[in-house]
Amino acid sequence: MSSRILPEFDLLVPQSIPEAVEMLTKYQSKAAVMAGGTDLLVLMKAGLKSEYVLSLAEVPGLDYVIYDPVAGLRIGAMATLAQIVESGSVKEHYPALWQSAVVNGTPQTRNKATVVGNILRASPAGDCCVAALALGGKVVLQGAAGTREVDIDHFWVAYRTTARQAFEFAVEYRIPANAGKSAFKRMTRADQDLSKLNAAAWLNMSGNVCERARLAIGCVAPTTVRMKQAEEILKGKEITEGVLKEVEEAVKSEVTPIDDVRSSAWYRKEVSGILMRRTIQKACA
Amino acid sequence: MKTRSITIHVNGEAYNLNVAVNRTLLQVLREDLGMPDTKYGCGTGECGACTVLLDGGRSILACLSLAALMDGARITTVAGLEVEGSLHPVQEAFVKEGAIQCGYCTPGMVMKSVSILAKNPHPTEEEIRRELEGNICRCTGYVKIVQAIQKAGDAMASTC
Repeated sequence: MSSRILPEFDLLVPQSIPEAVEMLTKYQSKAAVMAGGTDLLVLMKAGLKSEYVLSLAEVPGLDYVIYDPVAGLRIGAMATLAQIVESGSVKEHYPALWQSAVVNGTPQTRNKATVVGNILRASPAGDCCVAALALGGKVVLQGAAGTREVDIDHFWVAYRTTARQAFEFAVEYRIPANAGKSAFKRMTRADQDLSKLNAAAWLNMSGNVCERARLAIGCVAPTTVRMKQAEEILKGKEITEGVLKEVEEAVKSEVTPIDDVRSSAWYRKEVSGILMRRTIQKACA
Repeated sequence: MKTRSITIHVNGEAYNLNVAVNRTLLQVLREDLGMPDTKYGCGTGECGACTVLLDGGRSILACLSLAALMDGARITTVAGLEVEGSLHPVQEAFVKEGAIQCGYCTPGMVMKSVSILAKNPHPTEEEIRRELEGNICRCTGYVKIVQAIQKAGDAMASTC
Protein backbone atom coordinates (compact mmCIF):
# COMPACT_ATOMS: atom_id res chain seq x y z
CA MET A 1 0.00 0.00 0.00
CA SER A 2 1.53 3.25 -1.17
CA SER A 3 0.42 6.55 -2.61
CA ARG A 4 3.14 6.05 -5.23
CA ILE A 5 2.33 2.55 -6.47
CA LEU A 6 -0.99 1.06 -7.53
CA PRO A 7 -1.73 -2.58 -6.75
CA GLU A 8 -1.84 -4.97 -9.70
CA PHE A 9 -5.01 -5.32 -11.73
CA ASP A 10 -6.15 -6.24 -15.19
CA LEU A 11 -7.24 -3.27 -17.30
CA LEU A 12 -10.32 -3.48 -19.51
CA VAL A 13 -10.61 -0.75 -22.15
CA PRO A 14 -13.86 -1.20 -24.07
CA GLN A 15 -14.15 0.78 -27.29
CA SER A 16 -17.95 0.93 -27.40
CA ILE A 17 -20.99 0.76 -25.12
CA PRO A 18 -21.87 -2.81 -26.27
CA GLU A 19 -18.31 -3.93 -25.55
CA ALA A 20 -18.43 -2.33 -22.08
CA VAL A 21 -21.72 -4.10 -21.38
CA GLU A 22 -20.30 -7.42 -22.58
CA MET A 23 -17.25 -7.07 -20.32
CA LEU A 24 -19.33 -6.09 -17.30
CA THR A 25 -21.73 -8.97 -17.90
CA LYS A 26 -18.72 -11.27 -17.83
CA TYR A 27 -16.79 -9.83 -14.88
CA GLN A 28 -19.58 -8.20 -12.84
CA SER A 29 -18.40 -7.26 -9.32
CA LYS A 30 -14.83 -8.34 -10.10
CA ALA A 31 -14.53 -5.15 -12.16
CA ALA A 32 -14.36 -1.62 -10.80
CA VAL A 33 -15.75 0.86 -13.32
CA MET A 34 -13.54 3.92 -13.77
CA ALA A 35 -14.46 7.26 -15.36
CA GLY A 36 -12.01 10.04 -14.45
CA GLY A 37 -10.15 7.90 -11.93
CA THR A 38 -9.53 10.72 -9.44
CA ASP A 39 -11.39 8.79 -6.78
CA LEU A 40 -10.90 5.13 -7.68
CA LEU A 41 -7.13 5.39 -8.10
CA VAL A 42 -6.78 7.14 -4.73
CA LEU A 43 -8.87 4.39 -3.11
CA MET A 44 -6.72 1.73 -4.78
CA LYS A 45 -3.53 3.40 -3.59
CA ALA A 46 -5.07 3.30 -0.11
CA GLY A 47 -5.57 -0.46 -0.36
CA LEU A 48 -8.79 -1.08 -2.30
CA LYS A 49 -8.29 -4.20 -4.43
CA SER A 50 -10.09 -4.95 -7.65
CA GLU A 51 -9.16 -7.78 -9.99
CA TYR A 52 -10.25 -5.74 -13.02
CA VAL A 53 -10.53 -2.03 -13.72
CA LEU A 54 -12.91 -1.18 -16.55
CA SER A 55 -12.10 2.24 -17.96
CA LEU A 56 -14.75 4.17 -19.87
CA ALA A 57 -12.08 6.54 -21.22
CA GLU A 58 -12.11 5.12 -24.75
CA VAL A 59 -15.86 4.59 -25.15
CA PRO A 60 -16.69 7.38 -27.58
CA GLY A 61 -19.52 9.84 -27.07
CA LEU A 62 -19.98 9.78 -23.29
CA ASP A 63 -18.54 13.21 -22.51
CA TYR A 64 -21.60 15.36 -23.22
CA VAL A 65 -23.45 18.05 -21.27
CA ILE A 66 -26.61 18.79 -23.26
CA TYR A 67 -29.28 21.25 -22.22
CA ASP A 68 -32.68 21.43 -23.82
CA PRO A 69 -35.40 23.77 -22.49
CA VAL A 70 -38.01 21.01 -22.80
CA ALA A 71 -36.06 17.81 -22.13
CA GLY A 72 -33.77 19.25 -19.46
CA LEU A 73 -30.13 18.44 -18.82
CA ARG A 74 -28.29 15.28 -19.84
CA ILE A 75 -24.83 14.65 -18.39
CA GLY A 76 -22.84 11.81 -19.95
CA ALA A 77 -20.79 9.40 -17.86
CA MET A 78 -17.48 10.95 -18.95
CA ALA A 79 -18.54 14.62 -18.67
CA THR A 80 -16.12 16.29 -16.28
CA LEU A 81 -16.74 18.78 -13.51
CA ALA A 82 -14.75 21.26 -15.59
CA GLN A 83 -17.31 20.89 -18.38
CA ILE A 84 -20.09 21.66 -15.89
CA VAL A 85 -18.20 24.74 -14.70
CA GLU A 86 -17.77 25.88 -18.31
CA SER A 87 -21.45 25.36 -19.18
CA GLY A 88 -23.45 28.59 -19.27
CA SER A 89 -26.72 26.59 -19.38
CA VAL A 90 -25.90 24.74 -16.17
CA LYS A 91 -24.92 27.99 -14.45
CA GLU A 92 -28.16 29.63 -15.54
CA HIS A 93 -30.70 26.82 -15.14
CA TYR A 94 -29.17 24.54 -12.48
CA PRO A 95 -27.17 26.86 -10.22
CA ALA A 96 -27.02 24.31 -7.38
CA LEU A 97 -25.17 21.87 -9.64
CA TRP A 98 -22.88 24.54 -11.04
CA GLN A 99 -22.02 25.80 -7.56
CA SER A 100 -21.31 22.27 -6.35
CA ALA A 101 -18.97 21.59 -9.27
CA VAL A 102 -17.02 24.84 -9.00
CA VAL A 103 -15.81 24.07 -5.46
CA ASN A 104 -15.39 20.33 -5.94
CA GLY A 105 -11.74 19.24 -5.61
CA THR A 106 -9.13 21.31 -7.43
CA PRO A 107 -8.87 22.64 -11.02
CA GLN A 108 -6.68 19.65 -11.91
CA THR A 109 -9.04 17.03 -10.49
CA ARG A 110 -12.04 18.83 -12.04
CA ASN A 111 -10.42 18.30 -15.44
CA LYS A 112 -10.82 14.53 -14.96
CA ALA A 113 -13.44 13.90 -12.27
CA THR A 114 -16.99 13.35 -13.51
CA VAL A 115 -20.44 14.27 -12.17
CA VAL A 116 -21.72 10.74 -12.76
CA GLY A 117 -18.66 9.34 -10.97
CA ASN A 118 -19.39 11.59 -8.00
CA ILE A 119 -22.97 10.26 -7.88
CA LEU A 120 -21.85 6.63 -8.31
CA ARG A 121 -19.31 6.94 -5.49
CA ALA A 122 -22.35 7.34 -3.22
CA SER A 123 -20.39 9.15 -0.56
CA PRO A 124 -22.61 11.14 1.82
CA ALA A 125 -20.07 13.97 1.45
CA GLY A 126 -20.27 14.24 -2.36
CA ASP A 127 -20.89 17.85 -3.37
CA CYS A 128 -22.51 16.97 -6.70
CA CYS A 129 -24.63 14.36 -4.89
CA VAL A 130 -26.38 16.90 -2.73
CA ALA A 131 -27.05 19.15 -5.75
CA ALA A 132 -28.28 16.20 -7.82
CA LEU A 133 -30.68 15.15 -5.07
CA ALA A 134 -32.13 18.64 -4.60
CA LEU A 135 -32.59 19.16 -8.34
CA GLY A 136 -34.07 15.68 -8.77
CA GLY A 137 -33.29 13.44 -11.70
CA LYS A 138 -32.59 9.96 -12.92
CA VAL A 139 -29.50 7.81 -13.27
CA VAL A 140 -29.57 5.95 -16.58
CA LEU A 141 -28.09 2.46 -16.22
CA GLN A 142 -27.07 0.32 -19.16
CA GLY A 143 -27.05 -3.46 -19.00
CA ALA A 144 -27.18 -6.28 -21.54
CA ALA A 145 -30.99 -6.07 -21.62
CA GLY A 146 -30.98 -2.34 -22.38
CA THR A 147 -31.25 0.73 -20.20
CA ARG A 148 -33.27 1.48 -17.09
CA GLU A 149 -33.69 4.68 -15.15
CA VAL A 150 -33.45 4.94 -11.39
CA ASP A 151 -34.80 8.01 -9.65
CA ILE A 152 -32.08 9.74 -7.62
CA ASP A 153 -34.40 9.50 -4.59
CA HIS A 154 -33.94 5.71 -4.69
CA PHE A 155 -30.41 5.49 -6.08
CA TRP A 156 -28.32 5.53 -2.91
CA VAL A 157 -29.42 2.56 -0.86
CA ALA A 158 -26.76 2.56 1.87
CA TYR A 159 -23.31 3.95 2.65
CA ARG A 160 -21.34 3.77 -0.62
CA THR A 161 -23.99 1.47 -2.06
CA THR A 162 -26.16 2.27 -5.06
CA ALA A 163 -29.02 0.64 -6.97
CA ARG A 164 -26.58 -0.17 -9.80
CA GLN A 165 -26.32 -3.90 -10.45
CA ALA A 166 -22.83 -5.33 -10.97
CA PHE A 167 -23.57 -5.99 -14.67
CA GLU A 168 -24.69 -2.42 -15.35
CA PHE A 169 -22.85 0.84 -15.79
CA ALA A 170 -24.20 4.35 -15.49
CA VAL A 171 -24.29 6.10 -18.85
CA GLU A 172 -26.00 9.35 -17.92
CA TYR A 173 -27.54 11.55 -15.25
CA ARG A 174 -30.68 13.30 -16.42
CA ILE A 175 -32.24 16.31 -14.70
CA PRO A 176 -35.70 17.47 -15.80
CA ALA A 177 -36.27 20.96 -17.16
CA ASN A 178 -37.65 23.12 -14.40
CA ALA A 179 -38.17 26.74 -13.63
CA GLY A 180 -37.14 26.45 -10.03
CA LYS A 181 -34.51 28.40 -8.18
CA SER A 182 -31.65 26.48 -6.61
CA ALA A 183 -28.44 26.89 -4.66
CA PHE A 184 -25.66 24.90 -3.02
CA LYS A 185 -23.58 25.67 0.06
CA ARG A 186 -21.01 23.74 2.02
CA MET A 187 -18.72 23.97 5.01
CA THR A 188 -15.06 22.98 4.92
CA ARG A 189 -11.97 23.78 6.96
CA ALA A 190 -9.98 24.87 3.90
CA ASP A 191 -11.26 25.29 0.36
CA GLN A 192 -10.15 22.03 -1.23
CA ASP A 193 -11.21 19.82 1.69
CA LEU A 194 -14.04 17.37 1.51
CA SER A 195 -17.17 18.93 2.97
CA LYS A 196 -17.92 18.51 6.65
CA LEU A 197 -21.48 19.52 5.78
CA ASN A 198 -23.12 20.38 2.47
CA ALA A 199 -26.62 21.35 1.40
CA ALA A 200 -28.63 22.16 -1.70
CA ALA A 201 -32.09 23.61 -2.10
CA TRP A 202 -34.48 23.67 -5.05
CA LEU A 203 -37.55 25.88 -4.81
CA ASN A 204 -40.45 26.11 -7.19
CA MET A 205 -41.75 29.62 -6.56
CA SER A 206 -44.96 31.34 -7.56
CA GLY A 207 -44.27 34.98 -6.79
CA ASN A 208 -43.19 35.00 -3.15
CA VAL A 209 -44.88 31.72 -2.37
CA CYS A 210 -42.96 28.44 -2.41
CA GLU A 211 -45.13 25.89 -4.20
CA ARG A 212 -42.75 22.98 -3.75
CA ALA A 213 -39.25 22.49 -2.39
CA ARG A 214 -36.57 19.81 -2.45
CA LEU A 215 -33.97 20.21 0.28
CA ALA A 216 -30.95 17.92 0.38
CA ILE A 217 -28.17 17.69 2.93
CA GLY A 218 -24.95 15.68 3.05
CA CYS A 219 -22.51 14.43 5.72
CA VAL A 220 -25.33 13.81 8.21
CA ALA A 221 -26.40 10.23 7.39
CA PRO A 222 -25.03 7.15 5.54
CA THR A 223 -26.19 8.74 2.27
CA THR A 224 -27.08 12.22 1.12
CA VAL A 225 -30.66 12.72 2.32
CA ARG A 226 -33.74 14.89 1.74
CA MET A 227 -35.21 16.93 4.57
CA LYS A 228 -38.86 16.11 4.00
CA GLN A 229 -40.29 17.72 7.15
CA ALA A 230 -38.58 20.96 6.23
CA GLU A 231 -39.85 20.70 2.64
CA GLU A 232 -43.42 20.38 3.98
CA ILE A 233 -42.95 23.50 6.10
CA LEU A 234 -42.04 25.53 3.01
CA LYS A 235 -44.91 24.22 0.89
CA GLY A 236 -47.47 26.92 0.04
CA LYS A 237 -45.77 29.50 2.21
CA GLU A 238 -44.06 32.78 1.71
CA ILE A 239 -40.41 32.44 2.74
CA THR A 240 -40.31 34.70 5.77
CA GLU A 241 -37.86 34.83 8.66
CA GLY A 242 -40.37 32.91 10.77
CA VAL A 243 -40.75 30.13 8.20
CA LEU A 244 -36.98 29.89 7.82
CA LYS A 245 -36.64 29.54 11.59
CA GLU A 246 -39.07 26.60 11.48
CA VAL A 247 -37.11 25.04 8.62
CA GLU A 248 -33.90 25.47 10.60
CA GLU A 249 -35.36 23.66 13.63
CA ALA A 250 -36.85 20.89 11.48
CA VAL A 251 -33.54 20.20 9.72
CA LYS A 252 -31.69 20.13 13.02
CA SER A 253 -34.11 17.55 14.41
CA GLU A 254 -34.16 15.46 11.21
CA VAL A 255 -30.40 14.89 10.74
CA THR A 256 -28.46 12.00 12.32
CA PRO A 257 -24.75 12.85 11.91
CA ILE A 258 -21.75 11.03 13.34
CA ASP A 259 -18.33 12.06 14.68
CA ASP A 260 -15.52 11.66 12.17
CA VAL A 261 -12.19 13.16 11.16
CA ARG A 262 -13.76 16.26 9.60
CA SER A 263 -16.27 17.26 12.25
CA SER A 264 -18.32 16.13 15.24
CA ALA A 265 -21.91 14.93 15.35
CA TRP A 266 -22.76 17.71 17.81
CA TYR A 267 -21.38 20.48 15.60
CA ARG A 268 -22.97 19.12 12.43
CA LYS A 269 -26.36 18.96 14.11
CA GLU A 270 -25.98 22.45 15.55
CA VAL A 271 -25.17 24.08 12.21
CA SER A 272 -27.19 21.91 9.80
CA GLY A 273 -30.33 24.03 10.11
CA ILE A 274 -28.39 27.25 9.72
CA LEU A 275 -26.62 25.97 6.61
CA MET A 276 -29.96 24.94 5.08
CA ARG A 277 -31.52 28.33 5.91
CA ARG A 278 -28.60 30.12 4.23
CA THR A 279 -28.82 27.81 1.21
CA ILE A 280 -32.52 28.66 0.79
CA GLN A 281 -31.73 32.36 1.13
CA LYS A 282 -28.97 32.01 -1.46
CA ALA A 283 -31.42 30.32 -3.87
CA CYS A 284 -33.89 33.18 -3.42
CA ALA A 285 -31.32 35.95 -3.73
CA MET B 1 -4.65 -6.88 -20.15
CA LYS B 2 -1.70 -6.49 -17.79
CA THR B 3 0.42 -4.41 -20.14
CA ARG B 4 -0.45 -2.15 -23.06
CA SER B 5 1.55 -0.77 -25.96
CA ILE B 6 1.15 2.98 -26.27
CA THR B 7 2.62 5.89 -28.15
CA ILE B 8 2.95 8.90 -25.93
CA HIS B 9 4.24 12.30 -26.98
CA VAL B 10 6.21 14.10 -24.31
CA ASN B 11 7.42 17.61 -25.04
CA GLY B 12 7.12 16.98 -28.77
CA GLU B 13 8.96 13.62 -28.85
CA ALA B 14 7.06 10.40 -29.54
CA TYR B 15 7.81 7.35 -27.36
CA ASN B 16 6.60 3.84 -28.08
CA LEU B 17 6.28 2.04 -24.78
CA ASN B 18 4.88 -1.16 -23.41
CA VAL B 19 3.62 -0.16 -19.97
CA ALA B 20 2.22 -2.15 -17.07
CA VAL B 21 -1.43 -1.06 -16.74
CA ASN B 22 -1.06 -0.17 -13.07
CA ARG B 23 1.68 2.37 -13.72
CA THR B 24 0.83 6.03 -13.47
CA LEU B 25 1.89 8.64 -16.00
CA LEU B 26 4.12 10.05 -13.26
CA GLN B 27 6.00 6.76 -12.81
CA VAL B 28 6.43 6.39 -16.56
CA LEU B 29 7.75 9.94 -16.96
CA ARG B 30 10.14 9.75 -14.03
CA GLU B 31 11.23 6.11 -14.01
CA ASP B 32 10.77 4.74 -17.55
CA LEU B 33 11.60 7.88 -19.52
CA GLY B 34 14.12 9.30 -17.05
CA MET B 35 12.41 12.68 -16.89
CA PRO B 36 12.46 13.69 -13.22
CA ASP B 37 11.29 17.27 -13.84
CA THR B 38 7.69 16.34 -12.91
CA LYS B 39 7.56 15.87 -9.13
CA TYR B 40 5.96 13.33 -6.84
CA GLY B 41 4.31 15.09 -3.92
CA CYS B 42 1.33 13.39 -2.30
CA GLY B 43 0.28 10.80 -4.88
CA THR B 44 -3.38 11.38 -4.04
CA GLY B 45 -4.34 14.46 -6.04
CA GLU B 46 -4.01 17.05 -3.32
CA CYS B 47 -0.73 18.91 -3.84
CA GLY B 48 -0.38 19.57 -7.60
CA ALA B 49 3.37 18.87 -7.74
CA CYS B 50 2.86 16.44 -10.65
CA THR B 51 0.75 18.82 -12.78
CA VAL B 52 1.37 18.43 -16.52
CA LEU B 53 -0.53 19.72 -19.54
CA LEU B 54 -2.60 17.38 -21.68
CA ASP B 55 -2.85 18.13 -25.41
CA GLY B 56 -1.39 21.58 -24.95
CA GLY B 57 -4.10 22.91 -22.64
CA ARG B 58 -5.72 21.21 -19.71
CA SER B 59 -3.79 20.73 -16.50
CA ILE B 60 -3.96 17.19 -15.15
CA LEU B 61 -2.28 15.24 -12.38
CA ALA B 62 0.25 12.67 -13.58
CA CYS B 63 -0.08 10.75 -10.28
CA LEU B 64 -3.77 10.02 -10.97
CA SER B 65 -3.49 9.19 -14.66
CA LEU B 66 -2.88 5.67 -15.91
CA ALA B 67 -0.15 5.73 -18.54
CA ALA B 68 -1.89 2.85 -20.34
CA LEU B 69 -4.81 5.19 -21.10
CA MET B 70 -2.55 7.87 -22.58
CA ASP B 71 -2.11 6.35 -26.03
CA GLY B 72 -1.74 9.22 -28.51
CA ALA B 73 -1.71 11.87 -25.78
CA ARG B 74 0.54 14.89 -26.05
CA ILE B 75 2.01 15.73 -22.66
CA THR B 76 3.91 18.90 -21.83
CA THR B 77 6.10 18.94 -18.73
CA VAL B 78 8.07 21.85 -17.33
CA ALA B 79 11.18 20.76 -19.27
CA GLY B 80 9.23 21.22 -22.49
CA LEU B 81 8.47 24.90 -21.98
CA GLU B 82 11.88 26.25 -22.89
CA VAL B 83 12.29 27.18 -26.57
CA GLU B 84 15.84 27.09 -28.02
CA GLY B 85 17.49 27.85 -24.71
CA SER B 86 15.07 30.63 -23.70
CA LEU B 87 12.89 30.13 -20.69
CA HIS B 88 9.12 30.46 -21.03
CA PRO B 89 7.85 33.87 -19.79
CA VAL B 90 6.26 32.13 -16.78
CA GLN B 91 9.59 30.53 -15.83
CA GLU B 92 11.34 33.86 -16.42
CA ALA B 93 8.86 35.64 -14.14
CA PHE B 94 9.19 32.99 -11.38
CA VAL B 95 12.96 33.56 -11.39
CA LYS B 96 12.75 37.36 -11.53
CA GLU B 97 10.08 37.69 -8.85
CA GLY B 98 11.76 35.17 -6.55
CA ALA B 99 8.67 32.98 -6.61
CA ILE B 100 10.79 29.95 -5.72
CA GLN B 101 12.26 28.81 -2.44
CA CYS B 102 12.93 25.11 -2.14
CA GLY B 103 11.67 24.64 -5.69
CA TYR B 104 9.89 21.33 -5.22
CA CYS B 105 6.41 22.62 -6.06
CA THR B 106 7.75 24.83 -8.84
CA PRO B 107 7.37 22.50 -11.85
CA GLY B 108 3.71 21.88 -11.01
CA MET B 109 3.18 25.53 -10.10
CA VAL B 110 4.68 26.67 -13.42
CA MET B 111 2.58 24.23 -15.47
CA LYS B 112 -0.60 25.32 -13.69
CA SER B 113 0.36 28.96 -14.27
CA VAL B 114 0.82 28.34 -18.00
CA SER B 115 -2.67 26.83 -18.17
CA ILE B 116 -4.15 29.75 -16.20
CA LEU B 117 -2.65 32.32 -18.57
CA ALA B 118 -3.72 30.34 -21.66
CA LYS B 119 -7.34 30.72 -20.57
CA ASN B 120 -7.08 34.20 -19.07
CA PRO B 121 -4.09 36.41 -20.05
CA HIS B 122 -4.71 39.01 -17.30
CA PRO B 123 -6.09 37.22 -14.25
CA THR B 124 -6.83 39.10 -11.05
CA GLU B 125 -5.19 38.06 -7.81
CA GLU B 126 -8.42 36.39 -6.73
CA GLU B 127 -8.69 34.45 -10.00
CA ILE B 128 -5.09 33.28 -9.69
CA ARG B 129 -5.56 32.18 -6.08
CA ARG B 130 -8.71 30.23 -7.00
CA GLU B 131 -7.00 28.51 -9.91
CA LEU B 132 -3.92 27.71 -7.81
CA GLU B 133 -6.03 26.01 -5.17
CA GLY B 134 -4.71 22.59 -6.18
CA ASN B 135 -1.02 23.56 -5.99
CA ILE B 136 0.50 23.62 -2.54
CA CYS B 137 3.71 25.48 -1.71
CA ARG B 138 5.08 25.19 1.80
CA CYS B 139 7.71 27.94 1.54
CA THR B 140 6.72 31.08 -0.32
CA GLY B 141 3.32 32.00 1.05
CA TYR B 142 2.12 32.42 -2.55
CA VAL B 143 2.45 36.23 -2.73
CA LYS B 144 5.45 36.14 -5.05
CA ILE B 145 3.91 33.31 -7.08
CA VAL B 146 0.79 35.39 -7.70
CA GLN B 147 2.92 38.38 -8.66
CA ALA B 148 5.03 36.26 -11.01
CA ILE B 149 1.94 34.99 -12.82
CA GLN B 150 0.63 38.52 -13.29
CA LYS B 151 4.02 39.73 -14.56
CA ALA B 152 4.23 36.77 -16.94
CA GLY B 153 0.77 37.57 -18.27
CA ASP B 154 1.80 41.15 -18.96
CA ALA B 155 5.06 40.02 -20.58
CA MET B 156 3.27 37.51 -22.81
CA ALA B 157 0.70 40.12 -23.89
CA SER B 158 3.39 42.64 -24.83
CA THR B 159 5.31 40.20 -27.03
CA CYS B 160 2.36 39.21 -29.24
